Amino acid sequence: MTLAATFLAGAKSRLLPASIPFRFFATAAVFHVLMWLVLLAWTNEATSFRGGPGPTLAVVHILVLGVLTTTAIGASAQLLPVATRHALAAVWPIKLVFWLTVPGIAALIVGMYAANPEIIIPAAIVTVVGLLLYAGLLADNLRRAGNLAVVAAYGWAALVALVLLVGLGLLLALDYEIGVLPNHAAAALAHMILGGFGFMGLLVLGFSHVLVPMFALAAAPPNRPSFIAFALATAGVAIGSIGALADSMPTLTAAALIGLGAAVLHLWLMSRVLKSGMRKRLGQSFLLIRTAWILLPATLLIGLAALYGLAGSNGPTLFGFLLIAGWLLTFLLGILQRILPFLASMHANRTAGAAPPLLSELAASAPLKLHAVCHGIALAVLSLAIAVDSTWLTRAGSAVGLVGAVAFAWFTASVTRRALHW
Amino acid sequence: MTCARPEDGTRIWHTTEGVHIDVRGLEPPEPMVEILRMIDHGAVESVLIAHFDREPIFLYPELVDRGWNHEIVPSSCGEPDCADEVKLRIVRWGA
Repeated sequence: MTLAATFLAGAKSRLLPASIPFRFFATAAVFHVLMWLVLLAWTNEATSFRGGPGPTLAVVHILVLGVLTTTAIGASAQLLPVATRHALAAVWPIKLVFWLTVPGIAALIVGMYAANPEIIIPAAIVTVVGLLLYAGLLADNLRRAGNLAVVAAYGWAALVALVLLVGLGLLLALDYEIGVLPNHAAAALAHMILGGFGFMGLLVLGFSHVLVPMFALAAAPPNRPSFIAFALATAGVAIGSIGALADSMPTLTAAALIGLGAAVLHLWLMSRVLKSGMRKRLGQSFLLIRTAWILLPATLLIGLAALYGLAGSNGPTLFGFLLIAGWLLTFLLGILQRILPFLASMHANRTAGAAPPLLSELAASAPLKLHAVCHGIALAVLSLAIAVDSTWLTRAGSAVGLVGAVAFAWFTASVTRRALHW
Repeated sequence: MTCARPEDGTRIWHTTEGVHIDVRGLEPPEPMVEILRMIDHGAVESVLIAHFDREPIFLYPELVDRGWNHEIVPSSCGEPDCADEVKLRIVRWGA
């Protein structure tokens, strides 16, 4: 038996079939293109968006559910069983998560675009069922996380935020038809905080404690300051959600300041990791990751300014844009372009039984360079468009973003094809 | 293949099969970092036997990029704490 063949037998135990994570990543790439396309072609009031059904709400959910959430599900379903040493008990539940969430998200987006509660409500129910099933799978793995204490703590907090987030999301959907919420806008802000800073944000912060040291070839950050950052981050999310529901400016201010403390501490920990890492040339993925790190405190500062009316008339929109398209999307795209070739290489190892491919063979650099440039330009132009309330600039920025998203989809398709058919 | 770790608790030891390193108990990604540090610093000539408590799947592409091959081998030290270990034999290509 060859060395590689021997490896195949051992690796099967904890790696999911390649089609499972890659179906989520491919879906995210498709929704990423769709997001820019809808923003470019069919959205007129994005720069002053304050909520309510219509094309802009659809764009927001294409991004947060279609891109960010599907990426998070694919990555955590693949990485956590490896990290916790416990394979998923069966593959069908994660397949069911896919078949509930993706059609549910697609229908939800159609319903939001058309402002039709008769589509929104059943689609929201299907999506919520899928996300709760995912939450169950995540919980099953987190309880075995053992010596990944920091990651597990962030994971549990993200899971709680997810459950609250989907519950509130369902109430927001029902509110369009039967009026169950006393203050729809306040609940929508809490929903956004729980989704952006809670579920997605805490997952991003938690996984950073393993992924960034892994990419930089460094030791994980020390536990004590990591737990302080965790405590600050979760407190910020909890207080912010309560402040939003209570429509309380002092509470929201406190949450933003606590969140800033968490962000600064997290960024200090990450900078220490990079300084101590064996790998100094981190590649262009870290251009995106470093950009996202700058955008994290910038988002909180803009949010704070918007709270006091100091960020212009579209300050709240800029805050939401920087949160989901700035910090979260930029970070996930940076991480994805590192993880995808890794996973493809491992799956190629398993299926080939021959010489495994080099990472450099799997990571086509031209589409990634094009994407990074376009993504950066799109973020800058759209931020300006929101600040000066320009539909023309929004379309220009969206066109550039669309080119970048197509390039990223090209990269994803190329890596996925190699993972499945090497 | 033997895998008995010295009683003094040292993580690195030598046997006739090659250099051993025990990275069990370390928090990810430190096991991977320790292995790559040994390889990059030239501390291993041709064969490294690494003892993990989880399969180091993110290590594999890094090994390939450095020109090292790998195989999971059965653990046979006979100690109870070896029951769940993952033992990886890492070999420089052409060695």
